[in-house]
Amino acid sequence: MNTTENIYSLYKCRVLRVYDLIEDVKLLLFRFENPDIAESWTCKPGQFVQLSMPALGEVPISICSSPMRRGFFELCIKKTGRVTDKIHELKPGDFVGVRGPYGNGFPVDEFEGSDLLLIAAGIGMAPLRSVFMYAVDNRWKFGNITVINSAKFGNTLLFRKELEAMRDVAEAENIRIIQTVTRDPDWPGRVGRAQEHIKHANTDPEKTYVCVCGPPQVYEDVFNTLIKNNYDPRKIYVTLERRMKCGVGKCGHCIAGTSTFLKYICIDGPVFGYYDIISTPGLI
Amino acid sequence: MSDTMKPKVGIHGLTSCYGCQLRMASVQEILRVAQRFDIEYWSMLSSDGTIRHVDIAFVEGSVTTMADEEELKAIRENADVLVAVGSCAIHGGVQGMIFGEEYRKVFGEIYGNCTMDFEAKIAEPIHKFVKVDHNLPGCPPEEDEIMYYLATFAMGSYPEEKDYPVCAECRRNGYPCVLIERGEPCLGPLVVAGCGARCPGHNIACFGCRGPVPHGVAWFDSLARTFREKGMEKEEIKARMEIFGRQYEKMNEMIEKVFEHED
Amino acid sequence: MQKLIYIFWYIRKMRYVKIANEQIHDFLNQLKQYGKLYAPVKVSDKFYDRKEIDDVCDIAFDYVRTLLPAKKYFIHPKEKMFDIDIENGTYDEPEEKIEPFVLFGVHACEIVGLRILDGVYLRDYVDTYYKRRREAGIIIGLSCLPDDHCFCNLRRSDFVDIGFDLFLHELPDGYLVRVGSPTGHKIVDECAELFSNVTQEDIAAFREFEEKRQQMFSHHGSFDNMRYLLELTARDELWDEESEKCLGCGNCTNTCPTCRCYDVQDIPDIDGKTAERIRFWDSCQFRSHGLVAGGHNFRETKKDRFFNRYVCKNSYFYGLGTSYCVGCGNCTYFCPAGIDYLGNLLRVRSASEPEEVVHEHN
Repeated sequence: MNTTENIYSLYKCRVLRVYDLIEDVKLLLFRFENPDIAESWTCKPGQFVQLSMPALGEVPISICSSPMRRGFFELCIKKTGRVTDKIHELKPGDFVGVRGPYGNGFPVDEFEGSDLLLIAAGIGMAPLRSVFMYAVDNRWKFGNITVINSAKFGNTLLFRKELEAMRDVAEAENIRIIQTVTRDPDWPGRVGRAQEHIKHANTDPEKTYVCVCGPPQVYEDVFNTLIKNNYDPRKIYVTLERRMKCGVGKCGHCIAGTSTFLKYICIDGPVFGYYDIISTPGLI
Repeated sequence: MSDTMKPKVGIHGLTSCYGCQLRMASVQEILRVAQRFDIEYWSMLSSDGTIRHVDIAFVEGSVTTMADEEELKAIRENADVLVAVGSCAIHGGVQGMIFGEEYRKVFGEIYGNCTMDFEAKIAEPIHKFVKVDHNLPGCPPEEDEIMYYLATFAMGSYPEEKDYPVCAECRRNGYPCVLIERGEPCLGPLVVAGCGARCPGHNIACFGCRGPVPHGVAWFDSLARTFREKGMEKEEIKARMEIFGRQYEKMNEMIEKVFEHED
Repeated sequence: MQKLIYIFWYIRKMRYVKIANEQIHDFLNQLKQYGKLYAPVKVSDKFYDRKEIDDVCDIAFDYVRTLLPAKKYFIHPKEKMFDIDIENGTYDEPEEKIEPFVLFGVHACEIVGLRILDGVYLRDYVDTYYKRRREAGIIIGLSCLPDDHCFCNLRRSDFVDIGFDLFLHELPDGYLVRVGSPTGHKIVDECAELFSNVTQEDIAAFREFEEKRQQMFSHHGSFDNMRYLLELTARDELWDEESEKCLGCGNCTNTCPTCRCYDVQDIPDIDGKTAERIRFWDSCQFRSHGLVAGGHNFRETKKDRFFNRYVCKNSYFYGLGTSYCVGCGNCTYFCPAGIDYLGNLLRVRSASEPEEVVHEHN
């Protein structure tokens, strides 16, 4: 691997584990080959990496593990195209190239001392899991926590089993986990869209930070419900997706915004506040 | 990849000049290509006409006879991946220029009342009959693209197809724009890139041999408006755009729209 | 902070000399000792482009714009980023020997353009490929007179203080030369016999040239409120009408001195053992620019893409306190559909119908 200061150079990473999560989505655990990198590499919840498959190309992927875990990281990858098809063929022991972490991440330092409400729709739990795991690892820094994970069907709920398995910890730690589906008549649990369960959260609207991630069409309803329930719009954050080619504010593929608020989502985001979102056409 | 895992390939020609197959056969690295694939069938190079199951079938030419249509369907049934090669297969080609009502008339003029042992029909692109997985554009395709497509297939993936026009390559190569400078009816803005803007590079206006940019971003209407402003008549514009774009859905409608506003 | 100190250093050390017309060819020949010389030459009936110069007599001093902006020397239209060894998963930077080169005859707007590219390619994460070429390039600026499409005056990029090694201002009998960098000083010192002192007449002529130039611009005033007006007029019919004309060819972005979007592609070798990672100029006018995994497109329609360029170009570049657009007029001049970028901005600014601008090339 090149050791010069080329920002596009890659760290060699070894695949350690591959889990099937839901159809077309896998969770991969990686380790850095170079011990110095493994030792020094850090990230923030909500940041992403550029993952390279040799001869196929690079894709930006949100880190979905807790930054507290040194030398390792997990990526949750949905099969959507040429590169991700091949990523799904990876087996433990295979190598990939990774660079990053990039992006601003969630302002978790600012979150300290407040309640946390995480709202995921579709595969939105992927980036939010890093925030959730970070909060669990630093439990004493935060107040009450609620996770709302929603999907169309029970078998498309991302991290469903993991969240179910955390039930005991959750109860002991004032964490409420709500998993809900919208179109599955056979699902024994809660039904309805994510926003319909905001009222069941254990968080105090006055002192809660909210993180939302989902497909573009869910945001408006989620925002409206949050505000109606007295959540502070200044404390609502969203993480966005684009197909970054560089991840470092050069290639222009993720430029979004208007003439007074033009942003590279890769370096100015991918996390944006509620007011950025509503005042900037094209952001979501 | 071990030899037993070499992808099986079939290369087929329907109604066409066989130029695409010739181009594929004459790539400089043909021997290295042959090492990476098992070539099961190649209509230009072998008289063996049996269609066997292949991983990837490349199909050149348009569907112009009933026999073509049947052959194409058989190819599709026996291929995991089907690639349309060249303008005839992708857009119907030059022969696809005679279309609709006009076809009977031209057919009558050429063949009169003579009888033929095949049933001829309007030349149409293969996607009208079977599902096409990938398009390898060109007339014929360029060597670098052929190699890129083959290399991605050989590694079990597939190519990224271009969705931008010749103008992009013309500018990247620093060629003067013949449309702006001399008002020549260059079709560069409509036509899918890949040729490196060969004709404009020789000071010749692009006449669109590679066919329109895919995914509905070939703006026949805007270019017709531009040509009209340079003093061209509707029929002239149509004639030029029809050479390779006759069967592009909405082409006619798009051009008519421009002139209807002004009449 | 370091940058700020450099700026003061340059300005404090500003030095003016004169070169007479008779000496200019000698000077250009001498420039070749500093690296390959590239300068504008006439490449066709109407167009100029920068080419490597063999005979300095070929250089066009009175060109207005080149087919491709100076960015092509720093961000190559197509370049290899890595040689990839697929089996070992290694990515090696190709060994590229960067030789020094001299760009002669760069206009003020393009120098501002390069500084904007610096702001993007050298900020936070430094783009190695760009930086190496930028360090190897010597920039010799040249004064110019505007044509109908030029509006650098409205963009405050009609005059540059830094960003060049030497800047030549036309005088009736030669050029007034501003020295803008240590390299510029060195060149003047080493070619001392070609230069003379600036006289009172030269200063008067310089002033006259600048005044004449200012008067030649078709439009005056300021575009500072353009950002807000663009946002406020985003729903105007103007954008429907204008984007309808657009061919989506990407000429506007490729010929723009500050458009810098690129795409990356891996090209495998047929043996399946090696590959190349290449990058090449991309354009926000192309369909796939705003496409993301799963097929959603953030700039779905031609109008979205069309308006995006206006927004992007007119947004604020914090590094220089200007917009990303430098007012060079290339996007209008090189638009095959004859879309008048400046005209559209003027319509946004004043709401009244623009004066008919007759395009030379139509």
